[in-house]
Amino acid sequence: MDFNQTQQRIRWGIFITLAGLAVLLTILDNTGNLDSVLALVRDPFGTVLSWTSARADGVNNLLSAPRDIEAAQLEIEQLQGRIDALERENEELRELQGEYQILLELFNRARETPTYRRVTAAVIGQDSNPGVRSIIIDKGSADGVRVGMPVESARGLVGQVFRTTPNSAQVVLVTENSSAVPSRLGSSRATGILRGSGVGNTMTIDWIDLRFQVEIGETVLTSGLGGRFPQDLVIGRVVDMNRSEAELFQQAIVQSAVDFEALEIVFVIVDFEPVDTSIFSTSPGG
Amino acid sequence: MSASVYVAFPLMALLGVVQTAVLPHFPILGQVPVLPFLVALAWGLLRGVNEGAVWAFMAGFWQDMFSIVPLGTHALVFLLAITAVLLIQQLLPLSQFLLPALFATIATILYLILHTMLLRLLGFSLTLNAVTSLLPIVILHAIIILPIYWLMNQINRRVNPRRVEL
Repeated sequence: MDFNQTQQRIRWGIFITLAGLAVLLTILDNTGNLDSVLALVRDPFGTVLSWTSARADGVNNLLSAPRDIEAAQLEIEQLQGRIDALERENEELRELQGEYQILLELFNRARETPTYRRVTAAVIGQDSNPGVRSIIIDKGSADGVRVGMPVESARGLVGQVFRTTPNSAQVVLVTENSSAVPSRLGSSRATGILRGSGVGNTMTIDWIDLRFQVEIGETVLTSGLGGRFPQDLVIGRVVDMNRSEAELFQQAIVQSAVDFEALEIVFVIVDFEPVDTSIFSTSPGG
Repeated sequence: MSASVYVAFPLMALLGVVQTAVLPHFPILGQVPVLPFLVALAWGLLRGVNEGAVWAFMAGFWQDMFSIVPLGTHALVFLLAITAVLLIQQLLPLSQFLLPALFATIATILYLILHTMLLRLLGFSLTLNAVTSLLPIVILHAIIILPIYWLMNQINRRVNPRRVEL
């Protein structure tokens, strides 16, 4: 056997071993056999992600305001320490104002629906896969977060918990392709299943009966049917309609109320009163 | 195969954290490049198929750790896409300056196709619209691979200096 043949064998050996391992991992994970092991590995990374994300956010804020920095530097040259101190104080106040605004919105949201029990969580990462829309939050099963729980921000519905570790959780965004939320339109009262498009912040509601006159700008809310989401959570607004008289149904294009790129804090709704559907399970006779 | 494969595991874990917690804060043209993929590809282009395959697997493994897709999905897709490109590389003349950009383009297209197919197979409903919206990432990767390739080349030269017979 010559050297080249041996090299070829080693190469294919490595390739087949790795590919086999990858397939095995996929099967084991897909069937839920790796959940506890993976939670052990993923959990410590929650802290790392939280710390890293906060630092990156700080750097991003710094870079996104180059004019402020340039101006501040100029003034530092002119007025030295005094202006510098004032600028810093000003920035701190702005930061505080921003935080106050976020907290006020969250507080108002919590006050609107006092019956829900919520856990506040910080967004510490986004899905590493560019084709999948999910986020990682810093609260997990130790905080009462469970798979399937709805997640909202002060502006509206964010998504649903997909996977948890003791101290972090992955949330599938409502705009993800595989997401499906029973929804209702604000004024026309049409209902349907809202699906993520996987592109931008848009979603669609298919199969809306033509008898409903859906208007652009109409608010889209959760219908609460199915019991997975509370009723009347804001999802977004209708931005476009696809109507064809030749067809029996129409489609609404919905823009999410949430800016997912700027999402910092979210609520996990850990307890809520689901819509009463017992009427459907009661037999006609009694 | 050199000891670099042992470095790949912690390095890719670190890049996984960067990919998840840092890069989303700095999107370029609205897209976030897949850094571990590019690093594995660049190393493979410099060090050959065997090391490239191992690095690709490690990169994919850590991508899966921070994603909702099942573990092993990225590992398999990265492995297939990068190995395919590295096999093509062997048929072409020695690396020129722009060849990494060409290989990154091919590898990224392969990655997107294979990934879409695998995710659909696993029950994720990726629409054509969603996939086409990712196409700018191909151009982004073709550009970003150049500094990464240069950096990895410098590291490779220091770690594995060429033997010269006197």
